[in-house]
Formats: sequence, structure tokens, C-alpha cells
Amino acid sequence: MEIRAEQLQIGYGDYIAVQDMDIQVKKGEITTIVGPNGSGKSTVLKALTRLLKYQKGAVWFNQQDLNRLESKQLAQHVGVLPQKHSAPPDFKVRDLVGYGRMPYQKWYSKNSGEDEKVIDWALEVTGTASLQDKLIQECSGGESQRVWIATVLSQQPEILFLDEPTTYLDISHQLETMHLVRKLNRESGIGVVMVLHDLGQALEISDRIVVMKNGRKYCEGTPQEVITQKMMKDVYDVDCQIVRIPGREKPLIAYREII
Amino acid sequence: MKTKQKISLLRVSSVMLVLLILLGLCSVLSLAVGSAGYSIQEILKALFSQEDSPVKTIVLNLRLPRIILAILIGSSLSAAGALLQSVMRNPLADPGTIGVSAGAGTAATTILLIFPQLSASVPLFAFGGAALACVLIYTMAWKGGVDPTRIILSGVAINSVLGAYNSLLQLMNSDSLEGVLAFMNGSLSGRGWHQVQIAACYASAGLVMAFLCIKSANALQLGEEMAKSLGVKVSLNRVLLSAVAAFLAAATVSVAGMIGFVGLVVPHIARLLVGSDYKVMMPVSVVLGAVVLLAADTVGRTVVPGMEIPVGIVMAVCGGPFFLYLLRKKGKVSGN
Repeated sequence: MEIRAEQLQIGYGDYIAVQDMDIQVKKGEITTIVGPNGSGKSTVLKALTRLLKYQKGAVWFNQQDLNRLESKQLAQHVGVLPQKHSAPPDFKVRDLVGYGRMPYQKWYSKNSGEDEKVIDWALEVTGTASLQDKLIQECSGGESQRVWIATVLSQQPEILFLDEPTTYLDISHQLETMHLVRKLNRESGIGVVMVLHDLGQALEISDRIVVMKNGRKYCEGTPQEVITQKMMKDVYDVDCQIVRIPGREKPLIAYREII
Repeated sequence: MKTKQKISLLRVSSVMLVLLILLGLCSVLSLAVGSAGYSIQEILKALFSQEDSPVKTIVLNLRLPRIILAILIGSSLSAAGALLQSVMRNPLADPGTIGVSAGAGTAATTILLIFPQLSASVPLFAFGGAALACVLIYTMAWKGGVDPTRIILSGVAINSVLGAYNSLLQLMNSDSLEGVLAFMNGSLSGRGWHQVQIAACYASAGLVMAFLCIKSANALQLGEEMAKSLGVKVSLNRVLLSAVAAFLAAATVSVAGMIGFVGLVVPHIARLLVGSDYKVMMPVSVVLGAVVLLAADTVGRTVVPGMEIPVGIVMAVCGGPFFLYLLRKKGKVSGN
């Protein structure tokens, strides 16, 4: 399964947020979109998942026009965790995760045995099974992020879209979330498309990185192709070195010292 | 981990049970008290005797229909408020927000003051006015979909225009305001079996629809983007839920005039009692609404001997302070 956008232009009223955007994401791959604030990362993510209408161009879901897909059909293939999400704080964890089954249900139907099994799996794989009878408000920030990921996972998506999944989390929960994403990708073959701010994490986890600047794609490729001294200067106006450390597969970004 | 689930189930059923008992007690009490007070024995004796007696007439033709009406109206308004709070994700949403009160008020004022010969059809016009105002607000708020903030803001604008028109009309006809005032301060006084029949039709249809909306109300509580990405047609659901709420509220307005606060406060209390899941919150709201309105009406017609205080006024006077109490005590009245 793949989603492919061609020559997208996305805007709000007269304001054009993104233009000339080509991007392709597929099952089994981790694609990360990076770029400065306001470069249009989240906008692209929303257009690829039909949360936002685009003005020009086309988005293809496999060979089909994305706009022609039934809402539920799309939701069975694609899970989206928006940057801002909220549920009533007194919802129970298991109930929230159960909402991920909505795309498979009629408006009147209750959870089937099959639904319950998937919910169990989503809780298990995200390590939230022990929280299932707690209320959302009783969960810590890291826990609730995993619960939300479990919710989206119970849609059984082939591609998972995560908009800044680590923002607002401390470093340990950030890494925990990244490990979870990696695990889901390796073990279940789920494709992941993320917007990340931490380039070190993007470099570490991604199969492909798309760099955006001022609403356009600056470049894309493997992490090593993309995260370079030149890109950091051009896109972020930041001086750095890309350094290798013996024993580590991926390089690190060493920013210029603050003096 | 199963025990915790059982506890919440136990809590919900005990809340429900207590409310049903309260409803029963209030009904019996309301049958017995009034300008003429009767004991339970007297009432039972009169009801089961073949002959007509004043007790039988008063209880069967005045008090009983009024009790049933209070129950129907309280349930309908609470269900309407609960639905709207999910649509708007705003704690202040109630049937007034979407223009039901202002629309019905405008229609009723116009008929009563300008076309008094049509006064008998005020309920019909009030219903129509409420529906029209509601459609107008949603049309104005529509921009490729309906956004709660836009609904609320266009509601404020249209409510204020209609309110100004009402005030002007009242100023120009200040000598014949009796009927208008009675309508504006919703009352169950003098309503009989005829109104019960009408209200029962509306309320049963509306409440069935409200219960069918439960799953969708829950999904809307997750926020627009999340609901959309779960395959929910958000705008369609917002309009459907609002339409059901408007229907329920407009029906009550047409029967009893404008009764505020029930639709706003009862869902909040229900939420504090059993949580935000509409699967339990909706039924609790419906029963609680019935209890609250019945209690308010009973108080209104008994507290000052020889005088009827309209239930709308009792609700506002008692509801306001109680709401403030909840707000300060619990501090977790939330909009979604």
C-alpha cells in the first residue's frame, strides 16, 4: 500500500502553505518529514490523510483518487494521531482504545469478539495493557501518548501518521515512543509517517527523510543523504558537524558550541 | 482488573436506581401537595372509587398530566443539552445556543402581540420559529462544514438580533404583555392531557433519536481531527445531532414556553455523577432532567400559597446557585 501526492498545493484562503509538493509514503517504511516551524510539515501530513483539502495537485491511494475513498475504508488503512488530541479525561483507557474499531463497525454495533481481540493486541503491543481500566486523567504524559497510539493501532492501519508524537514529552518518553514506533514497523510491517522536530531522532529512526522549507520540499532521501552540514545551514541556518562515533551505526549531529 | 469495571457498573446502576426512586417519590408527592393537600389514602380511595369527586378531578385531570408533562419536558431538554454539549465541545452549549429559545420567543411574541387572533396556534408557530432560527444559524455558520465556534458565534449574533426585535415589540405593546411574559417564563400551569399527548409524541420520537446518537456523540468528544480520521463524517454528525436537539427543545418550547437552565445544568451534573461516556451519561441525564423539572414545578406551585411561580423561574433561581456550587466544589465541569 502506498499514498502518493503529486504537485500538491495546500492553503487556507489566499494564504498558500505548501506548493509543488511531491511525496510518496508506503507500507513497511518509516518516513519522517522535518523542517523549520511553519514550513508546512503538518499541513502535508493532513493533506495525505484527507484531514485537509488541497487546492491543486492530486493524492493517490494506491491507484485510486484519495478523495473518492469512503471515510471508513480510508480509516481501515490509515491511522492518524493528530498533534493535538483530547478525550474527556474521565474516559477509560480501554474504551478510548476501542474507538479505534469504529471504522469497522456500523453506527449501532457494539464491539465484537474480533474487535476485543484487536484491542487486546493494541494494548499489549504498546505496553498499556496494565492501564486499561484506568482513566485517561490518571495516566502520565508518556502513558497517555502510548494509549493514543494504541487507539490508532486498533484501526489496524497499514500506514500510521504521527504528527509530532514526541513534542511535550520528556526525553525518556520521547525515546520510549521512538522505540515503540520502530518495534511496530519491524514486527508488524506498519508504515509510519511522522513529523519530528528532533533531527537526531529523525536520523536514527527513519528509512527516508523529507526536508521542507517555506512550504516546498527542499530534498529527500535516506537519513545520511539528507542530514548534511549544508542542509542544516540552508534550511535551519544552523552550523553543525555530522560526526561518526565508533560503535554506532548512525552518525550524530554536533551543533556549534554555544559561547 | 475486572473488579474495577464492576465497581463503575455498580456506581452507574446505583445512581440510576436512586434517580428512579427520587422520580417516583417526587411524582407521589406532587400528586398529593398543592393548593388542596391530600393524603395518599385519600388519593387512592378517590382513584379507585367509581364516583367522581373533587379529589379525583384534581388529581387525574390537573396534577397527573402536569407531572407527566414535567417528566417529558425535563427529559427532552436534558437530552437536547447533552447532545449539543458534545457537538460544540463547549460547557456553555444549550438549546439557547442554537437559537431555539430566541426563535420560538420571536414567533410567539409576534403572534401574541401583532396577530392575537392566532393566539391558539402559538405552539405551532413557536415550533416553527425555533426550527427556522436554528436553520438560519447553521446556514450562517456553514463554510465547507460546520465548526462549533462558528455555530456559537453566529448563534450569538442571531440571538441578539432576535432578542432586540422581541424587546422592541414588547416596548411598543407594553400594555398587553401578559401572554408574552407567560411564554417567556416557561410554565406548566393549566396544561392538561391534550398537551401531554402532543409532548409524548414529540418526546418519545426525539428521545429515541437522541439515544441513537450516543455513539456519534461519543466520537465527537474525541475532537474533530481524531473523529475524522476514525472515519466519522464530522459535519454530518454535528448537523444530525443538532437537529435532534433542536427538535426536542423546540417541541418543549411549543408546549411549555421557555424553560432555561435544565438543558445546561443537568448534563453537567450527570457527567459529574457517572462520567462523560454518553452510553451512561445520556440515560442518566434524561432521568435526572425529569426529576429536576418535576421537583422545580412542584416547588413552584406550592412554595407560595395561592400563587404559581412559573417553573422556568424556579429553575433559574435554584439552578444558578447550584451550578455555581458544583463549579466551586468539584472544579471539573468540562465541556466535552
